[in-house]
Amino acid sequence: MYAYIFRKILYNIPVYLGIILIMMAALRVNDPVAAYIGKNVTPESIALKRHSMGLDRPFLPIATESESQPFDPNVKPWFRVGSYVTTHVGSDGVKRTTRHAVGIYSPGNTQYFEFLWRIARLDFGTKDKPYNSWQYESENVGEKLRQAIPPTVKVTVPTLILTSSVAIFVGMLSAYFRGTWLDRTLMFFVVLGMSVSVVVFIVIGQTIGSGGLKELLGFEVFASSGYEPGIRNWITYCALPVIIGVVVGIGYDTRFYRAVMVEETSRDYITTAIAKGATKRKIMFVHMLKNAMIPVITRIMITIPFLVTGSIVMEYQFRIPGMGKLLIDALSNKDFPIIQTFSAVFALIFIVTNILTDVLYALVDPRVRLS
Amino acid sequence: MLTRLFKSRGVGKFLRNRLAVGALVIIGMYALVGGFVVLGDVFPGKAGISLKEVEEPIGPPINFPGFLERAKPEKRAEVCRFYIDEFKRALRSRDPDARRENLKQIRYAERIAAPLEPEALDTIRENAEAIYDELSESENLDTDPAMLPVIEKLEAECAKFFAPITGWNKVKHDLRWSLGTDRQGRSNFVRGIYSIKVALAVGLVVAFISVLIGTLLGASAAFLGGWIDHAVVWLYSTLSSMPELVLLAVIVYAFSGTMFDRASSPWLALIPVYAAMCMEFWIGPCRVIRGEVMKIKELEYVQAVKAVGFGRMYILIKHVVPNTAHLMFINFSLLLIAAIKYEVVLSFLGLGVKVGPSWGRMIQESTPEVINGFFWQIGWATVLMFVLVLAFNIVADALQDAFDPKHVG
Repeated sequence: MYAYIFRKILYNIPVYLGIILIMMAALRVNDPVAAYIGKNVTPESIALKRHSMGLDRPFLPIATESESQPFDPNVKPWFRVGSYVTTHVGSDGVKRTTRHAVGIYSPGNTQYFEFLWRIARLDFGTKDKPYNSWQYESENVGEKLRQAIPPTVKVTVPTLILTSSVAIFVGMLSAYFRGTWLDRTLMFFVVLGMSVSVVVFIVIGQTIGSGGLKELLGFEVFASSGYEPGIRNWITYCALPVIIGVVVGIGYDTRFYRAVMVEETSRDYITTAIAKGATKRKIMFVHMLKNAMIPVITRIMITIPFLVTGSIVMEYQFRIPGMGKLLIDALSNKDFPIIQTFSAVFALIFIVTNILTDVLYALVDPRVRLS
Repeated sequence: MLTRLFKSRGVGKFLRNRLAVGALVIIGMYALVGGFVVLGDVFPGKAGISLKEVEEPIGPPINFPGFLERAKPEKRAEVCRFYIDEFKRALRSRDPDARRENLKQIRYAERIAAPLEPEALDTIRENAEAIYDELSESENLDTDPAMLPVIEKLEAECAKFFAPITGWNKVKHDLRWSLGTDRQGRSNFVRGIYSIKVALAVGLVVAFISVLIGTLLGASAAFLGGWIDHAVVWLYSTLSSMPELVLLAVIVYAFSGTMFDRASSPWLALIPVYAAMCMEFWIGPCRVIRGEVMKIKELEYVQAVKAVGFGRMYILIKHVVPNTAHLMFINFSLLLIAAIKYEVVLSFLGLGVKVGPSWGRMIQESTPEVINGFFWQIGWATVLMFVLVLAFNIVADALQDAFDPKHVG
């Protein structure tokens, strides 16, 4: 078993390195500083911003340095490989030539390895070594991340538990009464729900759940948006997003669980159980539920990353300052440090759940371990 | 390859599914409407719906309800007040030429100022003002039935401001107003219809390119094996290990500040969305087709062609890829749905469509309206999207049943 876990972790390390590489490269396709600041700024302030995020250092150990955008003078290449010249026509119509020097640099000086080292230590800035957001200059990215995790957890974890349990129940109900009107009505609503966009559920649910309920009862149960820490405020601010999340997620899950249960009914052990004289209910809830556990667990683990994604929209609409909302805000503000860090953390969560899924899967089904 | 697919038994099985054929007809209708809208980009002002037509107000910047709902008296008075003010502004100048010029500027889609002398219009305005003053006696128009006839009189007076609309224009005008207006006075109906083009464009382009890339990479990875296989598997396991929405958002960010980000053409402005989704969605077909080709390449007929001595690329293109056509079709339909749905979510978050309307933007803009109990905009966007996605869901399921019956889940 330990060998299996070790193998899984080992397999996922290059995958994560690849994600960070692709993501960081994508974020640098266009100059992040130019996107943030706009055009009418002094070169000094650009250079300062560039330096603050280490954007003036090579990205990978092999890098090209151009005359117009030189690297940090403290960063010297181990040796130069060569150089090439490009010409381009500027906005004033004058042709300019730029020299690019190709060099091999120490990995410790590169943005890629420096950021990986940050992730490995989970260190996104302290008081002495700032790693600050561009938009809110006095705030550490690490501090923002720490503050953003509790709201996200408060929304996603209850949603996951409720969605899975309700969906398994409804799926089993549907499979148990397969072919009857109950099954058909349930599946009708499931398909109906799947065809309506998530955002519609959120917008309508927000209005009905906060304003509509307030009008009906005369006092406010759920706030329409906002967030306050503390478990006592959970019902006011987080319960409505959770309820909507369950309604949205239930459709996909129910269909899957029903299919699993229906498939399970045609297995030999069910025939044996019927022949043995077990009641239908006992077969359903004792024999079948146990054996259907493998796909069920996989499914639950698979939905975790989707929940994270779904919570992005939910947090955005309900103004809950979780990781998703912060990421979307940072994207619209072009707040590069936050975008980079939060994307990396999202990917890390994703990878860890992937590993956990595989391990759990192997725990439930020993055949997986050996293959 | 296509002819072989259309002769297969699966097509007959698919066509016997009445529900699926009905869904196909609905999709065809959407495609026709989308095609009609595209004409607006080709012949602006002559046919179809152009972006300018979509973005211009057809009335006052007030949420005006659609055909089933009678507007509240307060709102009707507000609309009349807006027209009175508009004409007051136009007629303020003393110079008759300037007045005429100002009157020409007043234009709401089909409605233009009545071809009367400015003086005549001024008297209409004075009459309307007088009636409007009567309204101010009431404290709350919505609860005062005595004021209803006055409002009707006011509306009749205000109607004289505009030239009567006749014939084909009348139909167009009624359609424009049929589902009300948004908070900027733009027609909900036209915006929703225009968004069909956006949704179909995103869906078709993304699904086509993704299936193409996925098939090419998946088939060659499985058939050629070796380092190509390792590279492709690493690439897709890497990309799929990133939350979808985060990857989409990061790629959209990569386009920020480029010409596509600032483009005023709705076609150019969609390119970041296409690029982001294609990066994400090729993984699905690639996985499926890689698995299928792994199976196919061991089959006797492929071994036989190999033994005859044909080249590997020839076998791959001529004998292996055509046998995955059914999977390509199924994945195409699935990706279409996914792309349309993700476009809505991205636009809702302000990362997707930035020029012109889309269902996601309509839903996002309708958030404050919904709080005020105005459901016309969100309802129309939802209904249009719901029908399209449902139809595609049915077709995708039917395709799956017809061509890949062994599939589970």
